[in-house]
Amino acid sequence: MAEETIYQRLRRQGMSRRQFLKTCGVLAGVMGLQYAAPVVASGLPERLARTPGPARIVARALASKPRVPVLWMNFQDCTGCTEALTRSLSPALTDLVTNAITVEYHETLSAAAGVQAEENKQAMMKQYAGQYLLVVEGSIPTAADGVYCTIGGRTAVDLLQEAAAGAAAVIATGNCAAFGGIPMASPNPTGAKAAYELITDKPVAHIAGCPAIPEAFTGTLVHFITFGALPELDSLHRPLTFYGQTVHDRCLRRPFYDAGRFAESFDDEGARKGWCLYKLGCKGPTTYNACAGLKWGGGLSFPIQSGHPCLGCSEPNFWDRGGFYQGQSAPVGRPTITAAGAALGAGAVLGVAVALADLAQRKAIG
Amino acid sequence: MDWYAILEFSRGPMFYTALLVFMAGMTYRLFSTILLGWQADRVPNRGSKLRGVAVSYLKGFGIWPFFPWVKGTLSRNPVTYLAGGLFHLGLFVVIFLGTAHMLVWKSLLGFGWPTLALPIIDWLSAVTIVAMIALAINRRINPVLRLISGPAEWTNLIIVFLPMITGYMTTHHLWFRYETLFSLHMLSINLMLIWIPFSRISHFMFYFFSRTFHGAQAGKRAVAP
Repeated sequence: MAEETIYQRLRRQGMSRRQFLKTCGVLAGVMGLQYAAPVVASGLPERLARTPGPARIVARALASKPRVPVLWMNFQDCTGCTEALTRSLSPALTDLVTNAITVEYHETLSAAAGVQAEENKQAMMKQYAGQYLLVVEGSIPTAADGVYCTIGGRTAVDLLQEAAAGAAAVIATGNCAAFGGIPMASPNPTGAKAAYELITDKPVAHIAGCPAIPEAFTGTLVHFITFGALPELDSLHRPLTFYGQTVHDRCLRRPFYDAGRFAESFDDEGARKGWCLYKLGCKGPTTYNACAGLKWGGGLSFPIQSGHPCLGCSEPNFWDRGGFYQGQSAPVGRPTITAAGAALGAGAVLGVAVALADLAQRKAIG
Repeated sequence: MDWYAILEFSRGPMFYTALLVFMAGMTYRLFSTILLGWQADRVPNRGSKLRGVAVSYLKGFGIWPFFPWVKGTLSRNPVTYLAGGLFHLGLFVVIFLGTAHMLVWKSLLGFGWPTLALPIIDWLSAVTIVAMIALAINRRINPVLRLISGPAEWTNLIIVFLPMITGYMTTHHLWFRYETLFSLHMLSINLMLIWIPFSRISHFMFYFFSRTFHGAQAGKRAVAP
Protein backbone atom coordinates (compact mmCIF):
# COMPACT_ATOMS: atom_id res chain seq x y z
CA MET A 1 0.00 0.00 0.00
CA ALA A 2 1.28 3.42 -0.91
CA GLU A 3 2.19 5.56 2.05
CA GLU A 4 -0.56 7.80 3.39
CA THR A 5 -0.30 11.37 2.10
CA ILE A 6 -0.48 14.40 4.34
CA TYR A 7 -3.92 15.24 2.94
CA GLN A 8 -5.23 11.74 3.62
CA ARG A 9 -3.87 11.86 7.10
CA LEU A 10 -5.50 15.23 7.81
CA ARG A 11 -8.82 14.01 6.38
CA ARG A 12 -8.64 10.95 8.59
CA GLN A 13 -8.15 13.27 11.55
CA GLY A 14 -11.36 15.07 10.66
CA MET A 15 -10.23 18.02 8.58
CA SER A 16 -12.67 18.94 5.83
CA ARG A 17 -11.55 19.63 2.28
CA ARG A 18 -12.51 23.29 2.69
CA GLN A 19 -10.47 23.58 5.89
CA PHE A 20 -7.58 21.91 4.12
CA LEU A 21 -7.63 24.37 1.24
CA LYS A 22 -7.86 27.30 3.64
CA THR A 23 -4.86 25.96 5.51
CA CYS A 24 -2.96 25.65 2.25
CA GLY A 25 -3.78 29.29 1.50
CA VAL A 26 -2.45 30.37 4.87
CA LEU A 27 0.69 28.31 4.37
CA ALA A 28 1.27 29.73 0.91
CA GLY A 29 0.88 33.18 2.41
CA VAL A 30 3.30 32.45 5.21
CA MET A 31 5.87 31.22 2.72
CA GLY A 32 5.43 34.35 0.64
CA LEU A 33 4.86 32.00 -2.25
CA GLN A 34 3.42 34.65 -4.54
CA TYR A 35 6.97 35.70 -5.25
CA ALA A 36 8.71 32.41 -4.69
CA ALA A 37 10.94 31.05 -7.40
CA PRO A 38 8.78 28.09 -8.51
CA VAL A 39 5.84 30.36 -9.33
CA VAL A 40 7.74 33.19 -10.97
CA ALA A 41 10.26 30.90 -12.63
CA SER A 42 7.50 28.92 -14.35
CA GLY A 43 8.34 31.02 -17.40
CA LEU A 44 4.88 32.56 -17.59
CA PRO A 45 4.17 36.24 -17.11
CA GLU A 46 3.45 37.00 -13.48
CA ARG A 47 -0.25 37.48 -14.23
CA LEU A 48 -0.56 34.00 -15.71
CA ALA A 49 1.87 32.35 -13.34
CA ARG A 50 -0.53 33.15 -10.56
CA THR A 51 -3.38 31.26 -12.18
CA PRO A 52 -2.62 27.90 -10.59
CA GLY A 53 -2.55 29.85 -7.33
CA PRO A 54 0.05 29.53 -4.61
CA ALA A 55 -2.52 27.84 -2.40
CA ARG A 56 -3.06 25.15 -5.02
CA ILE A 57 0.65 24.53 -5.32
CA VAL A 58 0.72 23.80 -1.61
CA ALA A 59 -2.50 21.78 -1.79
CA ARG A 60 -1.15 19.61 -4.59
CA ALA A 61 2.04 18.98 -2.68
CA LEU A 62 0.29 18.08 0.55
CA ALA A 63 -2.19 15.86 -1.30
CA SER A 64 0.50 13.90 -3.08
CA LYS A 65 3.32 13.64 -0.59
CA PRO A 66 3.72 11.51 2.49
CA ARG A 67 4.30 13.20 5.80
CA VAL A 68 7.80 14.37 6.61
CA PRO A 69 9.31 12.88 9.72
CA VAL A 70 11.16 15.38 11.87
CA LEU A 71 13.95 14.61 14.29
CA TRP A 72 14.24 17.44 16.77
CA MET A 73 17.44 17.65 18.80
CA ASN A 74 17.81 19.97 21.79
CA PHE A 75 21.31 20.81 22.94
CA GLN A 76 22.56 23.92 24.78
CA ASP A 77 19.32 25.86 24.64
CA CYS A 78 16.53 27.22 26.79
CA THR A 79 13.81 25.43 24.76
CA GLY A 80 12.47 28.90 24.01
CA CYS A 81 12.14 28.11 20.31
CA THR A 82 9.99 25.07 21.08
CA GLU A 83 7.99 27.15 23.54
CA ALA A 84 7.45 29.84 20.93
CA LEU A 85 6.34 27.27 18.40
CA THR A 86 3.87 25.51 20.69
CA ARG A 87 2.46 28.84 21.82
CA SER A 88 2.19 30.18 18.30
CA LEU A 89 -1.25 31.66 17.80
CA SER A 90 -1.58 30.41 14.24
CA PRO A 91 -3.75 27.31 14.69
CA ALA A 92 -3.32 26.16 11.13
CA LEU A 93 0.42 26.09 11.47
CA THR A 94 0.52 24.48 14.86
CA ASP A 95 -1.91 21.85 13.59
CA LEU A 96 0.31 21.16 10.71
CA VAL A 97 3.37 20.81 12.85
CA THR A 98 1.76 18.54 15.36
CA ASN A 99 -0.29 16.44 12.95
CA ALA A 100 0.91 16.40 9.37
CA ILE A 101 4.57 16.64 10.14
CA THR A 102 5.44 14.00 12.59
CA VAL A 103 7.89 15.06 15.16
CA GLU A 104 9.30 11.62 15.79
CA TYR A 105 11.69 12.64 18.51
CA HIS A 106 11.62 15.70 20.72
CA GLU A 107 12.95 15.59 24.25
CA THR A 108 10.55 18.19 25.61
CA LEU A 109 7.36 17.21 23.81
CA SER A 110 7.75 13.45 23.68
CA ALA A 111 5.64 11.35 26.03
CA ALA A 112 8.18 8.56 26.08
CA ALA A 113 11.39 8.92 28.01
CA GLY A 114 14.66 7.15 28.62
CA VAL A 115 15.48 3.96 26.73
CA GLN A 116 12.10 3.87 24.97
CA ALA A 117 12.57 7.32 23.46
CA GLU A 118 16.11 6.50 22.37
CA GLU A 119 14.99 3.25 20.77
CA ASN A 120 12.24 5.03 18.92
CA LYS A 121 14.76 7.54 17.61
CA GLN A 122 17.10 4.82 16.40
CA ALA A 123 14.26 2.99 14.66
CA MET A 124 13.07 6.19 13.03
CA MET A 125 16.54 7.10 11.79
CA LYS A 126 16.88 3.68 10.23
CA GLN A 127 13.41 3.67 8.65
CA TYR A 128 13.59 7.16 7.14
CA ALA A 129 17.31 7.29 6.41
CA GLY A 130 18.04 10.05 3.90
CA GLN A 131 14.48 11.42 4.11
CA TYR A 132 13.93 13.00 7.48
CA LEU A 133 14.41 16.58 8.43
CA LEU A 134 16.75 17.30 11.30
CA VAL A 135 15.87 20.29 13.46
CA VAL A 136 18.60 21.50 15.80
CA GLU A 137 17.83 23.74 18.74
CA GLY A 138 20.72 24.98 20.84
CA SER A 139 24.46 25.19 20.35
CA ILE A 140 26.84 22.27 20.56
CA PRO A 141 29.62 22.32 23.19
CA THR A 142 32.97 21.00 22.02
CA ALA A 143 35.30 21.88 24.91
CA ALA A 144 36.56 19.05 27.13
CA ASP A 145 35.43 16.43 24.59
CA GLY A 146 31.89 17.76 24.66
CA VAL A 147 31.08 16.74 28.23
CA TYR A 148 29.07 19.92 28.87
CA CYS A 149 26.01 18.48 27.16
CA THR A 150 25.27 14.77 27.12
CA ILE A 151 22.04 12.90 26.50
CA GLY A 152 21.75 9.22 27.39
CA GLY A 153 25.49 9.21 28.13
CA ARG A 154 26.46 10.46 24.66
CA THR A 155 27.83 13.88 23.82
CA ALA A 156 25.94 16.44 21.76
CA VAL A 157 28.63 16.36 19.04
CA ASP A 158 28.24 12.60 18.72
CA LEU A 159 24.44 12.74 18.66
CA LEU A 160 24.36 15.57 16.13
CA GLN A 161 26.73 13.88 13.73
CA GLU A 162 24.79 10.63 13.96
CA ALA A 163 21.48 12.40 13.32
CA ALA A 164 22.85 14.56 10.51
CA ALA A 165 24.28 11.57 8.66
CA GLY A 166 20.82 10.35 7.62
CA ALA A 167 19.05 13.69 7.28
CA ALA A 168 17.80 15.11 3.99
CA ALA A 169 18.28 18.66 5.28
CA VAL A 170 18.91 20.47 8.52
CA ILE A 171 17.05 23.38 10.05
CA ALA A 172 18.93 25.15 12.82
CA THR A 173 16.29 27.02 14.79
CA GLY A 174 17.12 29.89 17.09
CA ASN A 175 20.30 31.91 17.41
CA CYS A 176 22.06 29.21 19.48
CA ALA A 177 21.84 26.54 16.81
CA ALA A 178 22.31 28.96 13.93
CA PHE A 179 25.17 31.13 15.22
CA GLY A 180 26.09 29.83 18.68
CA GLY A 181 23.89 32.31 20.53
CA ILE A 182 24.27 32.99 24.22
CA PRO A 183 26.23 29.80 25.05
CA MET A 184 28.89 30.94 22.57
CA ALA A 185 29.05 34.46 24.03
CA SER A 186 32.42 35.50 25.43
CA PRO A 187 34.19 33.77 27.18
CA ASN A 188 32.40 30.73 25.74
CA PRO A 189 33.33 28.33 28.57
CA THR A 190 31.84 25.26 26.89
CA GLY A 191 33.45 25.83 23.49
CA ALA A 192 29.97 26.11 22.00
CA LYS A 193 29.63 25.93 18.23
CA ALA A 194 26.82 26.49 15.76
CA ALA A 195 25.31 23.48 14.00
CA TYR A 196 26.66 24.42 10.56
CA GLU A 197 30.22 24.33 11.91
CA LEU A 198 29.81 20.61 12.59
CA ILE A 199 27.51 19.66 9.70
CA THR A 200 29.29 20.41 6.47
CA ASP A 201 27.80 17.92 4.03
CA LYS A 202 24.06 18.75 4.33
CA PRO A 203 22.05 21.82 3.44
CA VAL A 204 21.46 23.86 6.60
CA ALA A 205 18.82 26.60 6.92
CA HIS A 206 19.07 29.04 9.80
CA ILE A 207 15.88 30.26 11.41
CA ALA A 208 17.73 32.82 13.48
CA GLY A 209 16.15 34.70 16.34
CA CYS A 210 15.87 34.46 20.09
CA PRO A 211 13.51 32.72 19.89
CA ALA A 212 12.95 32.02 16.21
CA ILE A 213 9.65 33.40 14.90
CA PRO A 214 7.32 30.35 14.79
CA GLU A 215 5.89 31.35 11.40
CA ALA A 216 9.40 31.64 9.95
CA PHE A 217 10.16 28.13 11.16
CA THR A 218 6.88 26.65 9.96
CA GLY A 219 7.10 28.48 6.65
CA THR A 220 10.52 26.98 5.99
CA LEU A 221 9.28 23.56 7.02
CA VAL A 222 6.29 23.79 4.69
CA HIS A 223 8.55 24.90 1.89
CA PHE A 224 10.60 21.76 2.41
CA ILE A 225 7.47 19.63 2.31
CA THR A 226 6.03 21.38 -0.73
CA PHE A 227 9.11 21.60 -2.89
CA GLY A 228 11.31 18.94 -1.37
CA ALA A 229 14.09 21.43 -0.74
CA LEU A 230 14.98 24.30 1.52
CA PRO A 231 13.90 27.78 0.37
CA GLU A 232 16.26 30.37 -1.07
CA LEU A 233 18.76 31.44 1.59
CA ASP A 234 20.83 34.55 2.22
CA SER A 235 24.58 34.61 2.84
CA LEU A 236 24.00 33.56 6.45
CA HIS A 237 21.74 30.68 5.37
CA ARG A 238 18.53 32.37 6.47
CA PRO A 239 15.42 32.02 4.27
CA LEU A 240 15.12 35.21 2.23
CA THR A 241 11.35 35.24 2.59
CA PHE A 242 11.68 35.97 6.29
CA TYR A 243 15.14 37.49 6.52
CA GLY A 244 15.23 39.49 3.30
CA GLN A 245 14.64 42.85 4.93
CA THR A 246 15.85 44.59 8.04
CA VAL A 247 13.60 45.21 11.02
CA HIS A 248 14.38 48.91 10.46
CA ASP A 249 13.01 48.85 6.90
CA ARG A 250 9.62 47.51 8.00
CA CYS A 251 9.46 49.19 11.39
CA LEU A 252 6.32 51.07 12.33
CA ARG A 253 8.52 53.69 14.02
CA ARG A 254 10.55 54.25 10.85
CA PRO A 255 8.84 57.55 9.92
CA PHE A 256 10.09 58.98 13.22
CA TYR A 257 13.63 57.90 12.37
CA ASP A 258 13.38 59.67 9.03
CA ALA A 259 11.96 62.76 10.71
CA GLY A 260 14.70 62.73 13.35
CA ARG A 261 12.27 62.21 16.24
CA PHE A 262 13.92 60.05 18.87
CA ALA A 263 13.02 58.84 22.34
CA GLU A 264 15.88 59.97 24.59
CA SER A 265 14.99 57.72 27.50
CA PHE A 266 12.44 55.03 28.25
CA ASP A 267 10.07 57.34 30.09
CA ASP A 268 10.30 60.66 28.27
CA GLU A 269 7.68 62.25 26.06
CA GLY A 270 9.25 60.79 22.92
CA ALA A 271 8.90 57.28 24.31
CA ARG A 272 5.26 57.92 25.19
CA LYS A 273 4.59 59.25 21.71
CA GLY A 274 6.12 56.16 20.13
CA TRP A 275 9.13 57.85 18.54
CA CYS A 276 12.15 56.01 17.15
CA LEU A 277 14.29 54.03 19.62
CA TYR A 278 17.56 54.43 17.68
CA LYS A 279 19.21 56.49 20.40
CA LEU A 280 18.25 53.91 23.00
CA GLY A 281 20.33 51.33 21.18
CA CYS A 282 17.93 49.85 18.62
CA LYS A 283 19.77 47.39 16.34
CA GLY A 284 16.98 47.36 13.74
CA PRO A 285 19.12 48.79 10.91
CA THR A 286 21.50 45.81 10.87
CA THR A 287 19.03 43.12 11.90
CA TYR A 288 17.41 40.97 9.26
CA ASN A 289 14.23 39.40 10.58
CA ALA A 290 10.48 39.35 10.01
CA CYS A 291 9.54 40.75 13.44
CA ALA A 292 8.20 44.03 12.10
CA GLY A 293 6.08 42.28 9.47
CA LEU A 294 4.86 39.00 10.99
CA LYS A 295 5.10 40.20 14.59
CA TRP A 296 4.46 37.96 17.57
CA GLY A 297 1.45 36.53 19.34
CA GLY A 298 -0.60 36.22 16.17
CA GLY A 299 0.44 39.57 14.75
CA LEU A 300 -0.27 41.41 17.99
CA SER A 301 3.01 43.19 18.63
CA PHE A 302 6.79 42.94 18.61
CA PRO A 303 9.49 44.36 20.88
CA ILE A 304 9.88 47.72 19.16
CA GLN A 305 6.13 48.22 19.04
CA SER A 306 5.89 47.63 22.78
CA GLY A 307 8.67 50.13 23.46
CA HIS A 308 11.92 48.19 23.57
CA PRO A 309 14.77 48.61 21.07
CA CYS A 310 15.70 45.66 18.86
CA LEU A 311 18.57 43.60 20.31
CA GLY A 312 19.55 42.17 16.94
CA CYS A 313 18.85 38.59 18.08
CA SER A 314 18.79 37.14 14.56
CA GLU A 315 22.37 38.20 13.86
CA PRO A 316 25.60 36.35 14.71
CA ASN A 317 27.28 37.25 18.03
CA PHE A 318 24.49 39.63 18.98
CA TRP A 319 25.39 39.12 22.62
CA ASP A 320 28.93 40.45 22.24
CA ARG A 321 28.35 43.40 19.94
CA GLY A 322 28.52 46.28 22.37
CA GLY A 323 25.80 47.33 24.78
CA PHE A 324 22.15 46.64 24.03
CA TYR A 325 21.30 50.20 25.05
CA GLN A 326 24.25 51.83 23.32
CA GLY A 327 23.54 53.47 19.98
CA GLN A 328 23.93 51.32 16.91
CA SER A 329 26.53 53.63 15.40
CA ALA A 330 28.72 53.69 18.52
CA PRO A 331 31.94 51.70 18.31
CA VAL A 332 32.12 48.32 20.00
CA GLY A 333 34.11 49.07 23.14
CA ARG A 334 36.45 52.02 23.49
CA PRO A 335 40.13 52.52 24.31
CA THR A 336 40.81 52.53 28.04
CA ILE A 337 42.08 55.70 29.71
CA THR A 338 45.42 53.94 30.13
CA ALA A 339 45.65 53.13 26.42
CA ALA A 340 44.67 56.68 25.48
CA GLY A 341 47.20 58.08 27.96
CA ALA A 342 49.88 55.78 26.62
CA ALA A 343 49.14 56.88 23.05
CA LEU A 344 49.30 60.57 23.99
CA GLY A 345 52.47 59.98 26.01
CA ALA A 346 54.14 58.03 23.22
CA GLY A 347 53.30 60.77 20.73
CA ALA A 348 54.68 63.45 23.06
CA VAL A 349 57.90 61.54 23.79
CA LEU A 350 58.47 60.84 20.11
CA GLY A 351 57.76 64.47 19.22
CA VAL A 352 60.22 65.81 21.80
CA ALA A 353 62.86 63.24 20.83
CA VAL A 354 62.64 64.11 17.14
CA ALA A 355 62.78 67.85 17.91
CA LEU A 356 65.81 67.43 20.20
CA ALA A 357 67.63 65.28 17.66
CA ASP A 358 66.97 67.91 15.04
CA LEU A 359 68.19 70.66 17.34
CA ALA A 360 71.39 68.74 18.08
CA GLN A 361 71.93 68.26 14.37
CA ARG A 362 71.44 71.97 13.67
CA LYS A 363 73.90 72.88 16.44
CA ALA A 364 76.46 70.45 15.07
CA ILE A 365 76.17 72.05 11.64
CA GLY A 366 76.54 75.41 13.35
CA MET B 1 32.42 37.77 2.17
CA ASP B 2 31.44 37.95 5.83
CA TRP B 3 30.55 41.61 6.21
CA TYR B 4 29.39 41.07 9.77
CA ALA B 5 32.88 40.06 10.81
CA ILE B 6 34.34 43.00 8.90
CA LEU B 7 31.85 45.35 10.54
CA GLU B 8 32.60 44.00 13.98
CA PHE B 9 36.33 44.40 13.36
CA SER B 10 36.08 47.86 11.81
CA ARG B 11 33.92 49.34 14.56
CA GLY B 12 35.74 47.42 17.29
CA PRO B 13 39.50 46.74 17.47
CA MET B 14 40.33 48.51 14.21
CA PHE B 15 38.45 51.67 15.23
CA TYR B 16 40.16 52.08 18.53
CA THR B 17 43.55 51.20 17.11
CA ALA B 18 43.01 53.91 14.51
CA LEU B 19 41.91 56.27 17.27
CA LEU B 20 45.09 55.58 19.26
CA VAL B 21 47.26 56.06 16.19
CA PHE B 22 45.44 59.34 15.57
CA MET B 23 45.97 60.54 19.14
CA ALA B 24 49.62 59.52 19.25
CA GLY B 25 50.23 60.98 15.78
CA MET B 26 48.63 64.32 16.60
CA THR B 27 50.55 64.75 19.87
CA TYR B 28 53.73 63.83 18.03
CA ARG B 29 53.02 66.48 15.39
CA LEU B 30 52.14 69.11 17.98
CA PHE B 31 55.22 68.57 20.13
CA SER B 32 57.70 68.27 17.29
CA THR B 33 56.26 71.37 15.58
CA ILE B 34 56.29 73.53 18.71
CA LEU B 35 59.85 72.56 19.57
CA LEU B 36 61.22 72.92 16.05
CA GLY B 37 60.17 76.49 15.40
CA TRP B 38 60.49 78.03 18.82
CA GLN B 39 62.95 80.90 18.56
CA ALA B 40 63.14 84.10 20.56
CA ASP B 41 61.22 86.99 18.98
CA ARG B 42 63.30 90.07 19.74
CA VAL B 43 60.89 92.60 18.21
CA PRO B 44 59.77 95.19 20.79
CA ASN B 45 56.05 95.07 21.53
CA ARG B 46 54.45 98.01 19.71
CA GLY B 47 50.83 96.88 19.74
CA SER B 48 48.75 94.23 21.52
CA LYS B 49 49.27 90.50 21.09
CA LEU B 50 45.74 89.80 22.35
CA ARG B 51 44.23 92.20 19.82
CA GLY B 52 46.20 90.53 17.06
CA VAL B 53 44.91 87.11 18.09
CA ALA B 54 41.33 88.39 18.32
CA VAL B 55 41.46 90.01 14.87
CA SER B 56 43.07 86.92 13.44
CA TYR B 57 40.23 84.68 14.68
CA LEU B 58 37.56 87.20 13.75
CA LYS B 59 38.82 87.24 10.17
CA GLY B 60 39.28 83.48 10.19
CA PHE B 61 35.72 82.77 11.24
CA GLY B 62 34.08 85.90 9.86
CA ILE B 63 35.21 86.00 6.25
CA TRP B 64 33.14 82.91 5.66
CA PRO B 65 30.21 83.56 5.55
CA PHE B 66 29.92 87.13 6.89
CA PHE B 67 32.58 89.32 5.24
CA PRO B 68 33.27 87.87 1.77
CA TRP B 69 34.83 91.15 0.59
CA VAL B 70 37.62 91.17 3.21
CA LYS B 71 40.95 90.33 1.53
CA GLY B 72 38.92 89.89 -1.71
CA THR B 73 38.42 86.24 -0.82
CA LEU B 74 35.19 85.73 -2.74
CA SER B 75 36.12 87.69 -5.84
CA ARG B 76 39.56 86.09 -6.14
CA ASN B 77 38.61 82.50 -5.38
CA PRO B 78 34.84 82.12 -5.81
CA VAL B 79 34.85 78.30 -6.00
CA THR B 80 37.18 77.90 -3.05
CA TYR B 81 35.13 80.41 -1.07
CA LEU B 82 31.72 78.88 -1.77
CA ALA B 83 32.47 75.17 -2.09
CA GLY B 84 35.27 75.22 0.47
CA GLY B 85 33.09 77.04 2.99
CA LEU B 86 30.07 74.83 2.47
CA PHE B 87 32.25 71.74 2.67
CA HIS B 88 33.66 72.75 6.07
CA LEU B 89 30.27 73.79 7.41
CA GLY B 90 28.62 70.57 6.26
CA LEU B 91 31.44 68.45 7.60
CA PHE B 92 31.27 69.97 11.09
CA VAL B 93 27.50 69.94 11.34
CA VAL B 94 27.32 66.31 10.17
CA ILE B 95 30.11 65.16 12.49
CA PHE B 96 28.81 66.89 15.61
CA LEU B 97 25.08 67.29 15.10
CA GLY B 98 24.20 64.09 13.25
CA THR B 99 22.43 61.68 15.59
CA ALA B 100 24.49 58.65 14.64
CA HIS B 101 27.74 60.60 15.09
CA MET B 102 26.68 62.13 18.39
CA LEU B 103 26.20 58.57 19.68
CA VAL B 104 29.84 57.84 18.80
CA TRP B 105 30.97 60.90 20.76
CA LYS B 106 28.68 59.87 23.59
CA SER B 107 30.21 56.42 23.77
CA LEU B 108 33.71 57.91 23.79
CA LEU B 109 33.16 60.94 26.04
CA GLY B 110 30.35 59.70 28.23
CA PHE B 111 27.89 62.51 27.47
CA GLY B 112 25.69 63.48 24.54
CA TRP B 113 23.88 66.54 23.20
CA PRO B 114 20.79 67.38 21.14
CA THR B 115 21.07 66.72 17.43
CA LEU B 116 19.49 68.01 14.23
CA ALA B 117 16.72 66.23 12.33
CA LEU B 118 17.88 63.68 9.79
CA PRO B 119 16.59 65.54 6.69
CA ILE B 120 18.71 68.60 7.59
CA ILE B 121 21.81 66.46 8.09
CA ASP B 122 20.98 64.59 4.93
CA TRP B 123 20.76 67.70 2.75
CA LEU B 124 23.89 69.14 4.31
CA SER B 125 25.85 65.98 3.58
CA ALA B 126 24.59 66.03 -0.01
CA VAL B 127 25.75 69.67 -0.27
CA THR B 128 29.11 68.68 1.25
CA ILE B 129 29.57 65.89 -1.28
CA VAL B 130 28.72 68.19 -4.19
CA ALA B 131 31.08 70.82 -2.75
CA MET B 132 33.89 68.27 -2.58
CA ILE B 133 33.34 67.30 -6.21
CA ALA B 134 33.35 70.99 -7.17
CA LEU B 135 36.61 71.49 -5.25
CA ALA B 136 38.17 68.50 -6.98
CA ILE B 137 37.19 69.81 -10.43
CA ASN B 138 38.45 73.26 -9.50
CA ARG B 139 41.74 71.77 -8.36
CA ARG B 140 42.01 70.03 -11.71
CA ILE B 141 41.19 72.99 -13.96
CA ASN B 142 42.55 76.00 -12.05
CA PRO B 143 46.09 76.50 -13.40
CA VAL B 144 47.53 77.72 -10.08
CA LEU B 145 45.91 74.96 -8.04
CA ARG B 146 47.10 72.41 -10.58
CA LEU B 147 50.67 73.53 -10.10
CA ILE B 148 50.55 73.14 -6.34
CA SER B 149 48.58 69.86 -6.29
CA GLY B 150 50.64 66.72 -5.87
CA PRO B 151 49.69 63.16 -4.96
CA ALA B 152 49.35 64.17 -1.30
CA GLU B 153 46.61 66.71 -2.08
CA TRP B 154 44.63 64.26 -4.18
CA THR B 155 45.01 61.55 -1.56
CA ASN B 156 43.70 63.93 1.11
CA LEU B 157 40.70 64.75 -1.01
CA ILE B 158 39.89 61.09 -1.62
CA ILE B 159 40.43 60.07 1.99
CA VAL B 160 37.95 62.69 3.22
CA PHE B 161 35.57 61.99 0.35
CA LEU B 162 35.25 58.27 1.11
CA PRO B 163 33.68 58.60 4.59
CA MET B 164 31.31 61.27 3.24
CA ILE B 165 30.04 59.22 0.32
CA THR B 166 29.84 55.92 2.25
CA GLY B 167 28.03 57.68 5.09
CA TYR B 168 25.50 59.11 2.67
CA MET B 169 25.03 55.71 1.07
CA THR B 170 24.57 54.08 4.48
CA THR B 171 21.79 56.49 5.41
CA HIS B 172 20.01 55.84 2.14
CA HIS B 173 20.72 52.09 1.91
CA LEU B 174 22.09 52.61 -1.59
CA TRP B 175 23.08 49.61 -3.74
CA PHE B 176 24.51 47.45 -0.96
CA ARG B 177 23.23 45.97 2.25
CA TYR B 178 23.34 48.12 5.36
CA GLU B 179 26.10 46.12 7.09
CA THR B 180 28.28 46.32 3.96
CA LEU B 181 27.87 50.09 3.71
CA PHE B 182 28.33 50.53 7.44
CA SER B 183 31.57 48.49 7.23
CA LEU B 184 32.84 50.55 4.29
CA HIS B 185 32.02 53.73 6.19
CA MET B 186 33.90 52.52 9.28
CA LEU B 187 36.86 51.29 7.21
CA SER B 188 37.15 54.64 5.44
CA ILE B 189 36.94 56.49 8.75
CA ASN B 190 39.64 54.31 10.27
CA LEU B 191 41.82 54.96 7.23
CA MET B 192 41.20 58.71 7.62
CA LEU B 193 41.99 58.67 11.34
CA ILE B 194 45.32 56.98 10.67
CA TRP B 195 46.08 59.24 7.71
CA ILE B 196 45.23 62.61 9.34
CA PRO B 197 48.36 63.08 11.52
CA PHE B 198 50.65 62.42 8.57
CA SER B 199 48.86 64.72 6.17
CA ARG B 200 47.71 68.30 5.85
CA ILE B 201 44.27 67.34 7.11
CA SER B 202 45.95 67.93 10.46
CA HIS B 203 45.21 71.61 9.74
CA PHE B 204 42.07 71.12 11.85
CA MET B 205 44.46 71.41 14.82
CA PHE B 206 47.26 73.53 13.35
CA TYR B 207 44.71 76.03 12.09
CA PHE B 208 44.14 77.19 15.66
CA PHE B 209 47.82 76.88 16.39
CA SER B 210 48.87 79.13 13.53
CA ARG B 211 45.96 81.58 13.93
CA THR B 212 47.03 82.17 17.52
CA PHE B 213 50.74 82.31 16.73
CA HIS B 214 50.61 84.55 13.69
CA GLY B 215 47.87 86.69 15.23
CA ALA B 216 50.07 87.34 18.26
CA GLN B 217 53.11 88.10 16.08
CA ALA B 218 51.17 90.54 13.94
CA GLY B 219 49.56 92.13 16.99
CA LYS B 220 52.97 92.67 18.54
CA ARG B 221 54.08 94.51 15.40
CA ALA B 222 50.80 96.48 15.29
CA VAL B 223 49.89 95.27 11.79
CA ALA B 224 46.69 93.62 10.58
CA PRO B 225 47.06 89.81 10.58
